[in-house]
Amino acid sequence: MKRRGRGIACMWYPIGFTVTANPSAATVKINEDGTAIVLTGTVETGQGSLTVLGQIAAEELGIATDDVHVVSGDTDATPMDAGAIASRTTYVTGNAVRLAAGKAKSILFEIAAPLLGVRADQLDARDRKIQVKGFPQRGLPIGEVAHHAQAVMGQPAIGSASWNPPTVAMDPETGQGKPFSTYVYATQIAEVEVDDETGEVEVLRIVAAHDCGTAINPMLVEGQVEGGISMGVGFALHEQMLFDDGGRLINPNLTNYLVPTSLDMPEIEVAIVESFDPTGPFGAKGVGEPTSVPTAAAILNAIHDATGVRITSLPATPDKVLAAIRAKAARKTIPHS
Amino acid sequence: MADETKLAGKEKEIAPEALRRADREMRLPAVVPAVPYPVEALVPQARLQTPAVGQRATRPDGRLHGLGQTRYIDDLSFPGMLHARIKRAGVASARIVRIDTSAAEATPGVMAVLTGREIPVNSFGPSCQDQPVLADERVFHAGDGVTAVAAVTGQIAAEALEKIVVEYEPLPAVLDPLEALEESSPRVHPPSSNIYAKKIIRKGDLEAGFAAADRVFEARYATQMVEHVSLEPHAAIAEWDPNGRLTLWCTIGRITLARADLARTLKLPMNRIRMIGTIVGGNFGGKNEITQEPVLALLSKKTGRPVKGVFTRGEEFTSTTTRHPIIMEYKTGVTKDGRILARKVRLVLDGGAYCSWSETTLGKAAILAAGPYRIDNLRVEAYVVYTNKTMSGAMRGFGAPQVCFGYESHMDDIAQALGIDPLEIRLRNAFVEGSVSPTGQVLHSVVVKESLLKAAERFGWKEARP
Repeated sequence: MKRRGRGIACMWYPIGFTVTANPSAATVKINEDGTAIVLTGTVETGQGSLTVLGQIAAEELGIATDDVHVVSGDTDATPMDAGAIASRTTYVTGNAVRLAAGKAKSILFEIAAPLLGVRADQLDARDRKIQVKGFPQRGLPIGEVAHHAQAVMGQPAIGSASWNPPTVAMDPETGQGKPFSTYVYATQIAEVEVDDETGEVEVLRIVAAHDCGTAINPMLVEGQVEGGISMGVGFALHEQMLFDDGGRLINPNLTNYLVPTSLDMPEIEVAIVESFDPTGPFGAKGVGEPTSVPTAAAILNAIHDATGVRITSLPATPDKVLAAIRAKAARKTIPHS
Repeated sequence: MADETKLAGKEKEIAPEALRRADREMRLPAVVPAVPYPVEALVPQARLQTPAVGQRATRPDGRLHGLGQTRYIDDLSFPGMLHARIKRAGVASARIVRIDTSAAEATPGVMAVLTGREIPVNSFGPSCQDQPVLADERVFHAGDGVTAVAAVTGQIAAEALEKIVVEYEPLPAVLDPLEALEESSPRVHPPSSNIYAKKIIRKGDLEAGFAAADRVFEARYATQMVEHVSLEPHAAIAEWDPNGRLTLWCTIGRITLARADLARTLKLPMNRIRMIGTIVGGNFGGKNEITQEPVLALLSKKTGRPVKGVFTRGEEFTSTTTRHPIIMEYKTGVTKDGRILARKVRLVLDGGAYCSWSETTLGKAAILAAGPYRIDNLRVEAYVVYTNKTMSGAMRGFGAPQVCFGYESHMDDIAQALGIDPLEIRLRNAFVEGSVSPTGQVLHSVVVKESLLKAAERFGWKEARP
C-alpha cells in the first residue's frame, strides 16, 4: 500500500567564512558611452553569480543589466577574491562591486555637477542618466557625462574597492563570539509517498520558503532552490559512498552510486521570504548553500509521518525503510508479556 | 524454415542502412555548423530595464550553454599539448617501499613521469598542510596519487600507468570515525592524534535547564559520505613558458587561494603564476582547492609542452573531497508545552585522510547544531577525526544538512511525544528579531517564523489532509 506523509524542516545558515577574513575586491570601469565593465576575481560556477554582480553594478550606476559586462577569474587581470564558496558571492563580492561602482560614479558626479549647475552630492544616477535629485528632467545621459569625463576632462571613471564581513573570534572555551556577519533562514515542506511493500519513497512535492535578503534576481534564486533541492533529495534517499574492509571505495561510478535524475525530482514551489539586510548590497544576503540544507530533514520527517517509522541514518534507501516498517509491524503483532 | 531464413536475410539488408542512418543522426558534427547570432533581437527585456535589481535577468552564459558552444577545459586544446594521468594507490594505508617507473618511461608516446619526491614542497591544504600532492613516503587513503605520466594521448598515459610498479608495505588502517577517536586506534598521521580539531559551545546552565524540564528526549543520528558529482570533473591545463612563467586554466572556484597554494608547492613567486578560472560545470564546494595542478605544472616544465589533466569519474569519487559523515547525539529538555529549555549535542565528523575544509565544516556544524531555536542552556561538543578514507571537505552547506537532519528529526519526535503539531512546536521555539545565537550573537533580519508560515500557507499545512 502506498502511504502519503508530509514533513517540515526549517534552518538557519551563515553567509561567509567562519570568523576568518574573506575579503573580495572589485574594479568598475565606466566606458565613455555609459556602459560598464566589472572586474572580479570570483569564478562563475553555474549559479549565475556574474549576472547578479552585473545587476548590482548596474543598480549603483543607474544603468541596465545588459549595459554591464563582467570579467572574472584571472589572477593577472582581476582583483583578489576569496572565491565562490560559503554562499558569499552576492553578499561579500556584491558589496565590493557596489562600493567600486560608487567610486566610479562619484567621478561622473564631479564632472556632471558644474554642467548641471549643482553640487555633486545633489546628483543621482538613474535610468541611464546623471540627474539632479528630485528633478529628473534636469539631467544628462550617463554616456555623455562619461565621454566628457574621459575625452574632455581627462578623468576616466574607474573605481576600485574591497569589502570584508566584520566578525569577532569565538572564545575557545565557550564558543562565544560573532563568527558571521549575517545569516539566512528557510523552511521546506515535503510531501512523500512510501510504498510499504517495497520501502520505496517518492517525493511528490516540496514547498521551499527561503530568505535571501533582497532577491537581486528572483529567477536565479528560484534556480538555486531547485538545484539545492535535487542535491537534498539525493542526500536523503539515494547517494552513499561505500567502502570495503580495506578502505577501497566499492561504488566509484554513476551506475552504483545513484544521483537523482529528472524523474526523481518532485514538483517544487519556491517562495521568497521578504527581508532586508542593511549590511548587504541593496539588502541582499545569499542563497546558494541553504537551499539544500533542510530538504533531507523534511523528506525524512515526511517518511515518518507516512509510516510511523523514524529512519535515523541517511540515506533512507528502500531496504532500510522496508526493514523499519517490518520491524514496527512485528512489534505491533507481538503482544506484550 | 524457409520463410524464417528469407526474413532474416531481408532484415540483414535493412539493418545496416538503418543503423548507419541512426549513427549519422546521433553523431555530433566534426565541425560545428555555422550559427548566425542575431544578438540585438535576443536580449530579453529584463536585461534592458532599470532599475536593475529585482529583474529576472537571464544569464549571458545561458545562450552559450544552450547552443553547446561553451568551452570547458576538455574542449580546449593547444599545439603540442600532452595528456596526464595519475596512478592511484588502491591501498588505504601503507609505506611506499619502491616505485619503478622505467617501463612506463620507455613506452613510446610517454614524454614524462613524475613522482612525489620531485615536487618542491609536497604538501598543501587550506587550514593545515597535511596533504601530499603525490604520496612520496606514505599512502593515507586508497585514492592517493603516487605517480603521474604525461603522454601524447590520454590512452597512452593510462596504459603507461599500468607499467609503473609500486611496492607497498601495508600499515594498519582505521576506517570507522568512532574507532579513530580511541587512543588505541592506529594513527592516520603519526605522531599526531586522530582528533585534529574540536569545537565547544557553552551557553547558560545546562544542568539547571534539564532539571527544570518536564520531559527529556535523547536520540542519535548518522549521515553518510556523499560526493558533489559535478557534471564536469576536475580539469586543468598547465603551460610553463620559456620565461618560467606558469599559466593554468583550471576549474577551481577560488583562484586567489589556489595561486597561493601553487606558489607554495612549486616555490614560485606569485607574479609568475597566472590562474584562469574557466567556465565551470558545477562546483558545489568540490573545486575549492588545488588537486592535480602542481603535477600538471611540473610535467609541463619537464616536457616544455602544455599538459592537460581531466579526472575520470572514478577519480572524482576516490580522490576529491566529499561531504563529512557525522554521528550526532542529541539530548533535549522541554516543557510540556514544547519550549526547549536545554539541549546537549555531541558531533563526531569523519574527516577522511586529510584536513581539507574540516575545521570550517566542524565550526559551522557546531554553531548550527542546535537549530534556529531560542535555547538558553546549551552545550555543543564537536570533534573531527582522521580516517584512512577519501577526505571530506567543503560541500554545499558545510555540515548544515547533516545537523539539520538531526535537529529537525529530533524536533518532530518531541512534537509527536507531546502531542503538538510540528509547525506549532517550531513556531514556539524559533528565533525572532534580536534573538541571541548559541555563540552569543544578537541576530538581525531574522525571518524563521515568516518562512515557516509562508511555506505552511503555500503547502496547505493547516488544511485537512486528503
